[in-house]
Amino acid sequence: MARRRSPSAPARSIYLFPLPALAVFAFFFAMPTVQAFQYAVTDWDGFSVDFNSVGLANFTRVVGGDSLFANAAVNNAKFLLVVVVVQTAMSLLLALGLLRNSGRSVALRALFFFPAILSSVSVAFVWKFVYDPTYGIGNSVLGAGSRLLNAFGADVAPLQLSFLGDDRTAIYWVAMAQCWAHIGQMMVVYVAGLQAIPGEIYEAADVDGASPLRKFAYITWPLVAPATAIVVAYTTIQSFKAFDLILGLSGTPPKGSLDTLSTRIYTTFANSQYGYAAAESILFMALIGVVTIVQRGALRIIPQSDR
Amino acid sequence: MTGTTPETPPALTRRRLLGLAGAVGLGALTAACAGPGGSKSQASAPATGSAEGKVSFAHWRAEDKAAFDTLIAKFTAATPGVTVTQDITPSNDYQSQALNRLKGGSVGDAFPTFRGAQFEQFVKAGVYTDLSGSDLLASYEPALLAAGKQGGKQWGLPYQVVFPMPVANTDALDKAGVSGLPKDWDGFLSLCDKIKSAGLIPLAWPGGEVGNAGQLFNSMVMNNQPADDTCAQIEQGKAKVTDDWFLTTLKQYKQLTPYFQDNSTGTAVEPTQQLFATGKAAMLATGSYHIAAVRALGATFGMDLVAPITTEAGKARYQGTYNATFILGVNSASKVQPAATAWLKFLSDKANAATYADTTVQHLTVADVDYTNKDLKQLAPWLTKKTLLAPRFQFLNLDIRNAVEGACISVVGGAAPEAAAQKAQQVIDERI
Amino acid sequence: MSALAVRAPRRIRFGRGALLAVYTVIIVVPLAVVVFGSFKSQQQLFANPYLPTLSPALSNYRSALLAQGLGRALLNSAVVTVSGVVLTLVLASLAAFAVARTRGWVSAGIFGVLVVGMAVPAQANMIPQRVLFERIGLLDALLGLVVINVTVTLPIATFILAGFMKTLPAELYEASSLDGAGNLRTFLSIVMPLSAPSLAATTIFLFVIQWNDLLYPLLLIQSPDKKTLPLALLNFQGEFLTNYPLLFTGVILSSLPLVVAYVLLQRQFVAGITAGAGK
Repeated sequence: MARRRSPSAPARSIYLFPLPALAVFAFFFAMPTVQAFQYAVTDWDGFSVDFNSVGLANFTRVVGGDSLFANAAVNNAKFLLVVVVVQTAMSLLLALGLLRNSGRSVALRALFFFPAILSSVSVAFVWKFVYDPTYGIGNSVLGAGSRLLNAFGADVAPLQLSFLGDDRTAIYWVAMAQCWAHIGQMMVVYVAGLQAIPGEIYEAADVDGASPLRKFAYITWPLVAPATAIVVAYTTIQSFKAFDLILGLSGTPPKGSLDTLSTRIYTTFANSQYGYAAAESILFMALIGVVTIVQRGALRIIPQSDR
Repeated sequence: MTGTTPETPPALTRRRLLGLAGAVGLGALTAACAGPGGSKSQASAPATGSAEGKVSFAHWRAEDKAAFDTLIAKFTAATPGVTVTQDITPSNDYQSQALNRLKGGSVGDAFPTFRGAQFEQFVKAGVYTDLSGSDLLASYEPALLAAGKQGGKQWGLPYQVVFPMPVANTDALDKAGVSGLPKDWDGFLSLCDKIKSAGLIPLAWPGGEVGNAGQLFNSMVMNNQPADDTCAQIEQGKAKVTDDWFLTTLKQYKQLTPYFQDNSTGTAVEPTQQLFATGKAAMLATGSYHIAAVRALGATFGMDLVAPITTEAGKARYQGTYNATFILGVNSASKVQPAATAWLKFLSDKANAATYADTTVQHLTVADVDYTNKDLKQLAPWLTKKTLLAPRFQFLNLDIRNAVEGACISVVGGAAPEAAAQKAQQVIDERI
Repeated sequence: MSALAVRAPRRIRFGRGALLAVYTVIIVVPLAVVVFGSFKSQQQLFANPYLPTLSPALSNYRSALLAQGLGRALLNSAVVTVSGVVLTLVLASLAAFAVARTRGWVSAGIFGVLVVGMAVPAQANMIPQRVLFERIGLLDALLGLVVINVTVTLPIATFILAGFMKTLPAELYEASSLDGAGNLRTFLSIVMPLSAPSLAATTIFLFVIQWNDLLYPLLLIQSPDKKTLPLALLNFQGEFLTNYPLLFTGVILSSLPLVVAYVLLQRQFVAGITAGAGK
């Protein structure tokens, strides 16, 4: 009975620890998800008594025959890429700039975090106003910028954009709003990660005469890798779920240039096509799973410090 | 992180398997409980009896809350034993969530629906009680009750009448030298030209918001489309957006582009209201339902409706479009149906209707309402002109409607009409 | 001495200053528009969004608090969020501890299950969940909101806490088990205190997510007196109208509790980190 156990292995009771969480999860989450599979093989419209079983027809249609879904997937990819890159880079930069716990740094950190506290609908309304071509802040700043350049001798036509009205770039403007709302939130994660790096390492590097860039590349970046992993993963999931923001900026249903997978599924629900929407959401889940796995693999390539 | 992984004890593997099996079984059980399918409800007239209890009045018009509060106070004074509470959700959420929330009956004993997809949905789900032959109907203009009928039965009472046509600043038009309504397309274009020469934006159009941008669509197609139900036919596949008449419509949108404000495809509705209310734009391309908002922004000029006539003079079948919406009904799952019916009866009374109309500046389908509001009086003649029931609400599938109206928006944004039409048709074909 | 006291070369300091200044403007200007806008009428807002008005009006605030029922909604939000966050933290830290302490497919299994949970979009479960809640009588109840909030935020909370707990060295546990401490004691007296910074950060995340949640109250709550703040805020929006100033006012009123809570927690959070770095 007494097995030789390595000294750091936990007692058997450890397996009880996750049970409450798993129980809640299983009953209120996993089971409804199973039901989603049930819906997905029907053409149920959400309220009728009758429905037909359609096998895998919904799934084949999503993959092959739905240009709106494909469009939403492409938009989602663009959105995801921009948000992950910009948010990760900016939050790291800001965290580096506000590492010290001086009064000013703490105050600025609190300020930068603030947008994360607002609900996505609030953020959407703020940015809807920013992006308005006639009265909004965006064009007002661009116009002032052009006038300034002209005052210095350049001959630039006043730059005025339609922002969300430009089909090719609209999704990127939404990405900007999303970043604005969450950079501060990710910055907090980076501050925690950066402040956990012992100062002695930097002192040793200084003694060796290392430049700031070398210090960043060889000390900071590898040691902050766990924080980076959290930031990238969380940002990825968050941007898949960006829903309130898009609806707030574009209305229901969103126009083609702003449609992403989560809003596409919601629109399908609103069209009383529960079966088809369930199929779409299952494929959506699978897509998120694939992206997450690929990302974890990619993040492993980032050198971890184990010295 | 160093350290070797200890072997998992065999007992645990068995336990895990049991746990998994249990979970699956439980899952299957509950899946059976909450799976797809609904419960049937009978279509019948609302229950009769004494009116008492708490009536939940669910709707989406937050801007009418005060007006309804006044009416509720009056109603409860006249009908002791009944209280009415308003349950307001924003219109987008009402469209997508109301069915789920209301069919249980705990919310929305009395309720309205949007004309079109939502009304059909509610009838199909059996939420409406059958009001055919009810004495409520006598208070309404018979012709305007059509939107609440289905399958020969009168399920709901369309309450509001709106005109989704461009609203014009008549003072500005006078100053620009415009006289009389345009009778054909060239007439409309020259009207816009005159306004532009006077230094104003002819037409403020909220191209950035699908819901409001599409109202112009009603006027643009009403005289171009081959039949009054062409939009429904498009959804059934019997007509296509690549047909000539629609290409003509798209080309006409392109001709209008210089008369919209700059960057119109990115503009939301509030800024267009502002442009109009401050006199910078002579026309607002949404509808009569915005008159109250524009007045609230401080506009004091005279207003009237101007519809673009997209054909030649004499060929125009219609002078404008209207929509009958806010289709009131009694919830079949309600436990206080007599009280809910009494509330609707109260709203159908022309004196009360007049109060609502004047406060919210809307026309109603109730007969013989005496409008005191200046704007309502000004627009009242339109109630008897030759107007078409707004075609865009024939689209029951939001994706199809979006695709069709989106083609118009993209043309204004610079796309070629043929390409835009084809793209829209592809989306439609996938959904028929 | 920590790295934080080392001064960077002048070029970097200038760059850092410029970056912070620019970003401060990007954050402050839209927020200023919101704050100033709450005291204006819609015309005033459109006419001049940037500067405060010379004739501020409190009519928006009066309307928001009295007519729109924000007071009751505030109470509901507080009850739901506080209970939800506490419950989530308890369950998540227990689970995270197990993930950090076990190896192989047990750890990966629990973790994987919860990560999948993060990935499943709300739309997929929405309707089945509503039907389920109806069957068990949790519809239109604040308790129902607590349950669904805990369910939905458990994965991310476990994810963050496990990420942190995994960084705790193995020697810690060796020492603890040599002392004869069981799992529970190790958990309560060693791991939890050490995880304080991570717990603080997680608390903030959870608080914000659960406070601002709109979808589930919209789906599950029907009675006006059980609405939470985001839902009550939506009432400001009419069919074809959006009263920006009133909406801004509602945003400010509903965010204020969160800001206050953050400011208080933030200081403890930072203190905890510097204390840990100083060891």
